[in-house]
Amino acid sequence: MQTLIEVNNLSKRYGKKTIIDDISFKVNAGEVYALVGPNGAGKTTVIRLVTGLSFPTDGEVKLFGENASKKPSLRHKLGAVVEAPAAFYPYLSGEDNLKLHAKLAGGVKAERIDEVLEMMELSYARAQKLATYSLGMRQRLGVAAAVLTKPDILILDEPASGMDPLSLHLVHSVLREAARNGAAVLLSTHHLDEVVTYCSRVAILEEGKLIDEVNLHDRRQRYRAKVSQIQRAEDILADTDFVRHIKQRADELVFILAEKEDLAKVTATLFENNISLFELMPDTFNLKAYYREQININPRFQERVVR
Amino acid sequence: MMIRLLSIEFGKLLRLSSLRFSLIVLAIYPFLWAYAPGVFKAYGSYVVSAFQVPALSLLSSMQFLLPLLVAIASAELLGLEMIHGTLATVLLRPVTRSGLLLSKIIIAISYPFLLIGFMFIVSLIAGIPLGFSDFVGGTGVGPSGLVGDGLLTASGAMLELIRAYFIAGISLLPISLLSILFTVIFMNVASGALATLTVLILMQLLVVFPWLEPYLLSSQLNSYFSSGVSLGRAFALIALYSAVFAVSAMLIFERKDY
Repeated sequence: MQTLIEVNNLSKRYGKKTIIDDISFKVNAGEVYALVGPNGAGKTTVIRLVTGLSFPTDGEVKLFGENASKKPSLRHKLGAVVEAPAAFYPYLSGEDNLKLHAKLAGGVKAERIDEVLEMMELSYARAQKLATYSLGMRQRLGVAAAVLTKPDILILDEPASGMDPLSLHLVHSVLREAARNGAAVLLSTHHLDEVVTYCSRVAILEEGKLIDEVNLHDRRQRYRAKVSQIQRAEDILADTDFVRHIKQRADELVFILAEKEDLAKVTATLFENNISLFELMPDTFNLKAYYREQININPRFQERVVR
Repeated sequence: MMIRLLSIEFGKLLRLSSLRFSLIVLAIYPFLWAYAPGVFKAYGSYVVSAFQVPALSLLSSMQFLLPLLVAIASAELLGLEMIHGTLATVLLRPVTRSGLLLSKIIIAISYPFLLIGFMFIVSLIAGIPLGFSDFVGGTGVGPSGLVGDGLLTASGAMLELIRAYFIAGISLLPISLLSILFTVIFMNVASGALATLTVLILMQLLVVFPWLEPYLLSSQLNSYFSSGVSLGRAFALIALYSAVFAVSAMLIFERKDY
């Protein structure tokens, strides 16, 4: 899988204060990668460093394998919202703001503007001055502007800020669609419930450090099973190509499938080998609890309310 | 891309509230001079020709009013983007920082000519009742002031005025660029404009050092009175100030975190 965003040993210091401390991660094509963490953890700074709006003290950011700050033409394939609410010219209409974005991007077909307005359910407000837009409408217009050029990299800082649940659903489906079409999506968010449904990986940030990275894609492919002959079942499944990882946990097997559709192959294999299957269910992962656990390691955040 | 940026930036300039305010002020201002009863007391001469109205408008506005209007608009051109948060939005597009700032600089340095040109036209309109014929006296921007030294033809007066307005426009360029430089540094409209005016006022105070006076930024605002070698020196200094301010703004903008 092609790595579209590569962050290597990124640090940002203002004087003696370290804002970002030696962070590294990669986002591949087709992935949605979320940065989560308490306020002040450094999520927005990372987003600004990745988009080239700020400059790192140490480390580097590569987009499409190249240093984007030295090659602005790479931004033809980048869509981003870095302000919450998304920033636009208040004296222009929603449509005219998008036209200006299209002009800056080097030209976009008029139909595409109609398409993104329709996609974000803003067609009815296209002629309204931006000053009349609600916070949620501005955020939706921000996402519309970000996907205007059908970018290969999509970066969004708090895209859900100020949105009602329906608008939130709209934004998430756009992000999901972008990833399905092969884009690398990087976002920062506080909405852990939504993150867990469609993000591939989540980085937990705390005080400028990346303290943990959770592979939600793997977690979603993770199942647990109670079987007869647990050791034999483990050995047999470990030899297959549709089980990527397997281990015993107490009296059950926990395994990660290569593909979600491979679950039937597991049951068939166990059946063929005369191993009884008593229980089979997803090994559900509670990101919110896990996040709270990680953050609570630091006493400074123990009183924080996790949304 | 540069032409695209310039057209976008020009559109932004036309929407600046400071531009609208400046045009209103400059639409009224020359009429005050055309009919002001105290002109004789201030300048030792009566206004007898339409050609003297543009000169009086220029004489009275170059030390503070026009620099103020130019500084505010130039600061707004960049600073409003910071207030609206749109600077980051623009920088996320395939636009180089230097290209973006250069387009703003080009628009900002055209602004003094826009203001000066507008004030010139309004001044001529304000002077219509006084007539545009040959007259005895001076325009006020020539070597012999408003009193003049005999008969001045209409074409001679017009040429004197065009020359003075053009030089005045040029001498306002460093003010535009200084305002952009301070706005890049402070990332704020008010601070950018105020810092520019503070520098101008401080320079006006520095005339107490006579050897320094010819080289001060504020002294160049009177260069429309100059001719020959001293005008050449004024142009050289204006070019030097402009280059230093523009290059500094570019260098800082290129490495600034947004």
